[in-house]
Order: sequence, then C-alpha cells, then structure tokens
Amino acid sequence: MNGEPARLADVVERHRIIVCAGSGGVGKTTTAASLALWGALWGRRAIVLTIDPARRLADSLGVGPIGNTPCAVDGAALRRLGGDANGTLTAMMLDQKGSWDELVARHAPSEEVRQNILDNNFYRQLSQSFAGSQEYMAVEQLGELDACGDYDLIVVDTPPTQHALDFLEAPDRLLAFLDRNIVRWFVRPGFTAGWSTLQTMNKTVGFLLRKVEDATGVVALAQVSDFFQSMGELFDGFEARVERVTALLRAPETAFVLVAGPDEQVLGQADYLASQMGARSMPLKGVVMNRMHALAPGAEADPRAVDALARDIELRVARLLTTPGDPAPASVAGDLAANLAAWKARARGDALRTEIFRGGLPEAVPLVQVPDLTGDIHDLGGLASLHDFLFRAAD
Amino acid sequence: MLARRLLFTVGKGGVGRTTVTLALALEAARRGKRVLVVELEGARGLERALSGLATASDPPRELERISHLAVDGQAALEEYLGMVVPVRRLLRTIFDSAIYQYFVAAAPGLKELMAVGKIWFEADRSQSGAEDAADIVLVDGPATGHSLQYLRMPQAAFEAFPVGLVHREAERVLGLLRDPSATAVVVVSTAEEMPANETLEIFSGLGEVGLGVGALVVNQVHRAPCDPALLERLEGSLVGGDEDDVVFCEAVRRAREEAGWAAINDHHFARLAASTDVATAKLPYLFCEEFGAEQVIELSAVLESEFGGESA
Repeated sequence: MNGEPARLADVVERHRIIVCAGSGGVGKTTTAASLALWGALWGRRAIVLTIDPARRLADSLGVGPIGNTPCAVDGAALRRLGGDANGTLTAMMLDQKGSWDELVARHAPSEEVRQNILDNNFYRQLSQSFAGSQEYMAVEQLGELDACGDYDLIVVDTPPTQHALDFLEAPDRLLAFLDRNIVRWFVRPGFTAGWSTLQTMNKTVGFLLRKVEDATGVVALAQVSDFFQSMGELFDGFEARVERVTALLRAPETAFVLVAGPDEQVLGQADYLASQMGARSMPLKGVVMNRMHALAPGAEADPRAVDALARDIELRVARLLTTPGDPAPASVAGDLAANLAAWKARARGDALRTEIFRGGLPEAVPLVQVPDLTGDIHDLGGLASLHDFLFRAAD
Repeated sequence: MLARRLLFTVGKGGVGRTTVTLALALEAARRGKRVLVVELEGARGLERALSGLATASDPPRELERISHLAVDGQAALEEYLGMVVPVRRLLRTIFDSAIYQYFVAAAPGLKELMAVGKIWFEADRSQSGAEDAADIVLVDGPATGHSLQYLRMPQAAFEAFPVGLVHREAERVLGLLRDPSATAVVVVSTAEEMPANETLEIFSGLGEVGLGVGALVVNQVHRAPCDPALLERLEGSLVGGDEDDVVFCEAVRRAREEAGWAAINDHHFARLAASTDVATAKLPYLFCEEFGAEQVIELSAVLESEFGGESA
C-alpha cells in the first residue's frame, strides 16, 4: 500500500468478480450495470447478472422477461460511448424458478428422474419459497459464468431481500439442507409407507414430525421422501459444487461492494452487513452511497437566511423574466429559497450520516457518493453518466 | 380504517413501511385506542423507531398506549408445541433434534404460519375483553413477496386439513383475515417505477389470497416548488453574469430537480390510483436533516387528514 486512499476504480480493475450487496431499494441493479459498463468501456469482457431490473433498463440492456439467457449489448453502442474496441458487455437476468429447473435438468441422470423431480410437489414449493433459494441461484449462476470462461469481469446484483445477509448465507444454508445424514434418513427404504414405519423406528421423532405436519399441513412427508429419493443421485455432485462457489465468493479475485443510501435505516443494515461480511471472510472492498443530496459548495456555504435569500432571488427573477405583461408570480422567489433551504438541511444530514458511516469502515475501503439524480436511469448513456461519480478521484 | 382490529402494512423494501406503521399507530393511539405494533423475523426497525420517539425531547403522549411485540415464527412454533406437548423434557428433545431444526428451516411456510397464528392470537384477545389486550394490532410486514407468503399460509393449512384441530384453527384465523370489518391490509408504496410495479403485483397477489386492500399509502411524494414551466424559462435564461451567482443557479437547479421528481411521482401516482378504488393517502417527502420523532408525528397528522373523512 502506498498510503493513497483506494479508489473504486482500483477495486473494479483488480477483481474479476464484483458482488453488489445491500438492502432493497438502494439502487443495486443500476450500480451493478454501471460497474459492468465501465469494465466494458475499458476493454474487458464484462457481464452483469441482474435480478429484477426496471423495465426500461432491461430493455436498453437487451434482456427480455425470459431469464437466464446472456444477451450481448450492441458493440456499436459501446463504441459510441468511447469504449475500448475489445470491450464487450453482456447482461443476463436471473430467473429463479428457471434456474432450479435448469439445475435439475443438468444433473438428472435420466429424463425420468428429471420429470419425477419437476413434478414433485415438495420440489415445487421448495424451488419457489425455500429461504435463500433465489440467493442461492444467484451464487450458482455466478459459478456457471465463472466456469464458462467467457468473461473477465462478472458483476452480480444480489436479490432484494429484507435481510441482505441472505445472499452470503445461502450456500451454507443449502449445504445444511443437503446434510447427508439427514438426507439419508429421509431416503430410507420403506419410508414412503408413511408414519407407521417412522413410529417403529423412532417414537420421539415420529411423534414430533406428526405434530409438525399437523401444524403446517403444507408438506406431506411421503412427498419429501420421494423428492429425496429422486434427488439422491444429484446430491453427490451438488455438494462439491456448493463448496466450489462458496470458495469463489471468498477468493481474492472477488470483491464485495456495498450499495447503500444516506438513510438511517439503510445505513443501520449496511453497517451490520459490512461487519458480517468480514466475519465470513468475504471482506468489503468498496461502498457506493446512492441518492445523496448535495449542493454546489458555494451554495452550501452561503450564510443567508431564507428571507434574505428570497429577496435576492426576487431581483434576479425579475431581471431574467422581463417579458411585459407576464410577471412571475410573487411567490416564486420565496418558493425557490425555501426549496433550497430544505435541500440544504437534507444535504447536511446526508453528509453527517455518511461521515459517521465512513468512520466505521476500514480506511482502505473507498466510499463514493452518487447524487440523487432525477428519474430512473434507463439507458447506457445514463449508466455511463454515473461513472463521473463512481470513479472520480477519491475525495 | 383504524376501526379494524388488525392492520397489516406491506410494501417493497425501502418505501417506508415502518414509518407508516408507526404513524398509523400514533394516530390510533391519539384516538384513544390501545395499540400493539408487531414486527416479524428479527426485524428491529419499529422497535428502534419507537425508542427514538420515546427519547425525543418532547415525546408524544400517545406512546403510553402503544406496546411492541416481536414475533418470530420459530419461537411461535415452539410456543405452540409447548401447548400441545406438555412434557418439558420431551419438548427439549424435540427442539434439539436435528430433524426438527431441519424441518423448521426447510418446510416452506411453517414459520410464516406460526407467526400469523401468533398475531391472530393477539388480535383475537382484543375481543375477549382481556384487561391488557390491545384494541388494534398493527403488523409491520416484511418486504412484499414475503408478506404475501405470510398471508397465504392460513389458506394453505385450511385446505391441507379437511378436518381436525388445525383445520378449525386455520378457519378461525382465516375468518379474521378475511373479515373486511376486522382486518385490512395497508399497502405502502412510493410513486416511482419499480415500487409502483411491485405495488400493482401486491394488489393482484392479495386478491389471490382472498384479501382486500384496505388502504393505499403513497409515501415520499415530491412537490414542485413552483410552476415547472417558469423554472424552465428561468434555467434557460441563466447566462453569463448569473453563472457566478452559484447560490441562485443552485436554487433554480434544485427547484428543477424537485419539479422533476414531482412529475415522476405524479405519473406513477396516477398509475397506482387508476388501479384501485380504495382510500388513498399521499405522504409528502420530508426534507429534514434527520428523520425523527417530529417527522413521524407530522406524517401521522397528514394521515389523519387524508383518511379523516372516514368514520373512526
């Protein structure tokens, strides 16, 4: 380390995999797409794996509603943004249900086994609602993209969850789910016969499961057993696979970038997430603070009170809008001054909260601020316009 | 709306569900009701916000009437099993068993069902006239998809068990959830593209579950500070000498920015309003250095006036 503060540009340059983490609604998808675009403009073969992009952004990246197909962004459009001739940008939308089915299809030893699994009720429920299922599929898809070797920059947008931690935990949770001892237990011959077999086997557990099934009424045990019997052959390869992607998340070529915004609640979650990343050996490498309210420095330092400001603004307005017979409404100066003062207050709060948050981060982690830009970013030009903020020299 | 016994607040992450729940709680308490606010799955936002209100320089008196409960599906399941399995030692064996842990983690919907059951229990007590029972239970739901999962569970259990105890329990829970005079879902949204899209999905999702929307609260609505056309002319005429007046330029630009957000909000608000005929409230985006007690109280007053026409 040369003592210079790290820049986000370095983080993107030095890593092959960037995982954008953070709570819902903070602009993760847009940030991920913008980071991938930056890589492409600098000549890398970049792909962004996105979860739920806004419609217009999806359209401009060329990804349709059907997921899991990589779609290349028109190279000419990249050149128009001044991109390196070798750079490519691909976008891919994660389709959770489709991914599970694909996974089963890939690993099922026969068409019959495949169909058995796909028709199984427990499988259907599981693939839709298993806690962390979508998160796991994002990790799984990352493994695929990594293995195919087509890309030298992979940016992953993580699913919008209540607990952003779900993404980090998903592989471990799935491993626990596939715990051999338990799976074997379910796959015992004769188990499908039902509760009677169970009760002779283990009274306590049988009793318990009956109570649990009573309480839930959702999962029929025979279905579970069927599922595990069908899945049995898939599991061997699976465990190694989960371990491989877990290792990939912890590899030095992978960087976690936290996306947040200057709201109390968002920062509370971000704080927690950052500390948990460290604890899981998935260290945080950068922070993007979206939706910052900021004013031009001169305006920020301006000491005038709202009234005084309004009087000065009024003079200017009168001079600018001199069309006879079309006077500006008298209130306009007051409105402008009040709005500016409101912005100033908010900007002060944002800056303060950001500073406190930054204080809790390791010094080497760059934090960049992106202003609250009007409207949705929905095309390549818009994504590129974020680069000014994401990659300007550290401040 | 506050005449109901049970209100669920649902909405996409980041739209301000917790704030709206709290504002509704304050308003209910102002009307003299005893309020129980509930949050799920280890969420602590509501608890933090409540203690923020309590430690404010001028804490609202309504707080005395508001209590808080964190509902955790797994704990609720254990509580339930505790009622049906009275032998302590046996219970411990059950809870410690790997199979049990496994089931709780994997069985889709189990935790959600138990959590809803627990909420139902609390809401039902209000009718029993118990001394410490709340008049109204406000649930700060998790982000959308998950909320629907919660609300779907009683129906699933009801269908899975044609007879017996669970069937009867599920039926009672459903009875409360589906009774529009007792329960309402309050959908919170912001008037931007993605949150509005998700809100439209919530509307149809709730329909599938057999629940109606009680009210729509559109949060963080920006307002154009003055006539946008006038702003455009002002910005267009900023030339030469004005460029050095940073403050004036900034005043015009910030106003333009606000007007821009207001236009976006208007557009999506119209989309939302067109999709539903339930009572709809607009909460303003509040510019403040720090969002705290004062702001929640302000929003609660806005809710009061927006929904004020309704009989309490």
